[in-house]
Formats: sequence, C-alpha cells, structure tokens
Amino acid sequence: MDAIILENVSKTFKIPHDYKAGIKSYLLGFFNLTHCYERFHALKNINLRVRQGEFLGIIGPNGSGKSTLLKIIANVIQPTTGRVLVHGKISPFLELGVGFQGELTVKENVYLYGVLLGIQQKEIARRFDSIIHFAELERFIDTKLKNLSSGMLARLGFSIAIQVDADILLVDEVLAVGDEAFQEKCYSIFRKFKREGKTILLVSHDKSLIRKFADRTIRLHHEK
Amino acid sequence: MDNYYFHLMKSFALTDFKLKYQGSVLGYLWSLLNPLLTFAILYVVFSVFVRFQMENYSLFLFLGIILWGYFNEATFNALVSLYTKSNIMKKIYFPRTVIVLASNVTTFLGFLLNFIVFLFFVLFSEIELHFLSFLSILFFINLFLLTLGISYIVAGLNLRFIDTQHIWRILLQLFFWLTPVVYSLQLVPESYRFFFYFNPLVLILEGIRNIFLENIFSFHFYFISLLFSLVVFFSGYFLYRKMSVYFAEWV
Repeated sequence: MDAIILENVSKTFKIPHDYKAGIKSYLLGFFNLTHCYERFHALKNINLRVRQGEFLGIIGPNGSGKSTLLKIIANVIQPTTGRVLVHGKISPFLELGVGFQGELTVKENVYLYGVLLGIQQKEIARRFDSIIHFAELERFIDTKLKNLSSGMLARLGFSIAIQVDADILLVDEVLAVGDEAFQEKCYSIFRKFKREGKTILLVSHDKSLIRKFADRTIRLHHEK
Repeated sequence: MDNYYFHLMKSFALTDFKLKYQGSVLGYLWSLLNPLLTFAILYVVFSVFVRFQMENYSLFLFLGIILWGYFNEATFNALVSLYTKSNIMKKIYFPRTVIVLASNVTTFLGFLLNFIVFLFFVLFSEIELHFLSFLSILFFINLFLLTLGISYIVAGLNLRFIDTQHIWRILLQLFFWLTPVVYSLQLVPESYRFFFYFNPLVLILEGIRNIFLENIFSFHFYFISLLFSLVVFFSGYFLYRKMSVYFAEWV
C-alpha cells in the first residue's frame, strides 16, 4: 500500500526580477511590454511512491527543490503539472513554530498552534502537561513567548507537533536547533513513530541522521 | 462547518482579539469609544454647524455610524488579517476561508457591543422598543453576509495586488459619502435617489433605521438586500477559494 504517489510532478516558479506585486507591473506584463520574470523549474517530472510505514530521507543541495516537494505533498502549493495522491492524514507542519505569537503566553500558544495543526482542543487540554514537560518549559507557562530563547521555541514547537495524530509526517530540518540531550529525545520519538508504522519524510543535510533512520534515501539535483 | 474549522476559527478570532488590545490601557473600551467619538465629531458638525433639522437625528446618526463602522472596519481588518497570516499560509495547509471569517466574526462582536450602546441610548429617548425591533436581526444577517463577501474579495485581491489596500481605503471614503450615514436619503434629489438603491448597504441601513425610528419593517428593502448579500457572499466566497490555491506563492 502506497501512502504517497507522485506522478510526473513539476513545479515552475516565476521569479520576478523586480518587485512586481502591483497592478501597474501586472498590466505591463499582461500587455507583454516587459518581461520582468524568469521561469525557474524547481521540480521536473518527479515520480515517487512512498510505502506506508516507510521512512524516506530526502537530501540534495540548497535550492534543489526539497522543501518545494514537501509543500506540494502537504497541499500548501499546487504542482504546475502532474498528480499527487495521498492516503492518510498528513501532519501539516514543515517548520516548527510557524504561527507562534510572541505577544501571547506559552500556554496560549500551545492551544493556538495545536488547533492550527488539527489537534482537538480537548485533546490539547488533556496532553497539556506532557507537552510542557517534554519541552522542559514548566517554569515558563505564563511567560510571553517573545521572552523565550530560540532553543526553547524549537522545543515547544516540536513538543506540540508530535501530538498530531497523523499517518504521514513531513519533517523539514527541524532538528537543527536544540541541544544534544533534546535531540536524543527527538530521536526516540522518531523511533516510536517508526514502530507505530507512520510514514515519515525527512529533509535533512545531516547525513548521519538520514543513515540512522531512513529506509530509503532520494537525492534531488539542480536542473541540468 | 466541521469541528476543526470551527475550532480554528475560534482560535484565530480569540488571538486577533487578544493581540488587538494587548498593552493598551483602556483595552476593549476603545472599540466602544471609537464610534462614540466619531459620533460626537459628526454630530457637532452636522447638527450644530450645518444645522440639519431632523427628528431623532442623534439616534439616526449613531445607527449610521456603527453600521458603517462595522462594514469599514470588518473589510479592512480582514485584509490586514490575511496579509499578516502569510507566514503560516506558506508552511501549513488549512482551509484559507477561515482567516477572513474569523476576522469578520471578531469585528462583528464589537459591532454587537456598539449596538447595545445604541439600545441604551434608545431607552433614554422618546422612542420605544417594539416586537418589531427584534426583526433587525434579519438585517444584521444580511449585513454580515454582504460584508463577508466583500471581505473575501478585497482580502484575496490584496495578496495578488498589494495596491488593493490603498484603492480600498479610497473607495471606503467614497462610499462613506455615497451612503446616507450622516444625511438622510430624503435630502438626496429624487433623480439621484434611484441609484442609491443599488447600494445594498443603503438598503440595510435604511431598513434598520425604519425599524427603530419609524417602526416600519420594509419588506422590499429586506428581500432586495438579502438577494444582493447572497450574491455578493457567494461570488466573494468562490472567487476567494479559487485564488486561495495560490496564496502561498503570492505572499
């Protein structure tokens, strides 16, 4: 059983040469008076099948389309051509802590981010203590988020994100922050997810991490 | 509306609300003070300086200000709210229609509070509340749908064309004077008055004024504005849904 199927997926971005969000430049472009963008093929004819329960590592140099690939699978952006089929619930996070509000407290943010990721409010309330415990932020529950360090933010984001009841996890370079002890905790979570038969797509530059977990690794190249 | 959609909306609305009054001394009082101060200014200008002669002009004016204020604020807040959520939209998939809806709901709650202030004023006037007053809720639903439809269009377009917010600001000013907020429709020359009825906001505003000030429920105002509002809502909603597929790339 395949969890994710990509058929001939391509994505072309129009990269503007100049700031081109206004009506004037749109009209000029419409009447073909200026060619102020160039096409950038982020992905070209990607065919990929990911089995259920597979841990897929995705590597490649910067700008080779790794994040674009995950965004297309997550339905955040649409492919220019091709088809994407997904079986199962996707955990909709590509980056930890997007949507965190610095002016709100840790507690308020746990609820805000949790709901955004599709966790039931009752469920968040039930798991609140374990989220805070995992993030090691017991002393900061009522602290405004803007007063936390970036490491603390990453820990909080990760702790909430792993509560998502999803079949497929898309993970984009989330372990770059956090100290060694916390990374070890994250690895044990990965192992747990793997045992539970979740499908995981991990984008990383960390070869040892990929080697440790991935059943299969794909490498994206720059356009030739 | 499923559970996820509802909770997401509630969460966005609550966050908007909390952030808006974060750190301000008077907090939520501001959304009550705002229409009252606008009222005071316009009342002095039009009742004292221009010397409008009209029965119950203060209630007439206040009703106009809070209804117009809702339309004005709701559309603009929706535009800003969508724009400020661009970082989340780039990374997480969730139904994009929630953002604008949540923003409108927050503004609508403020409007309802202002409306309570209006009812309070009514208690101290010669006007009495009737059973008919309850029917104003029907017009409120039209107002909400109409505003939501326009919010969808304006907020979505603004992501594609950043100019939209500047154009919209000017259009709002134009429509403030083209809608009988401070003056009454009776003052408009008859030959122009016909065109005013093509503005659904005029129908809603006059409909609600008729209920409270004249004790009349204008069925034709109600049905025409309902029709207008539904058309605007559905066109706005579907246009927005069509655009929303590209939001993550536009922002």
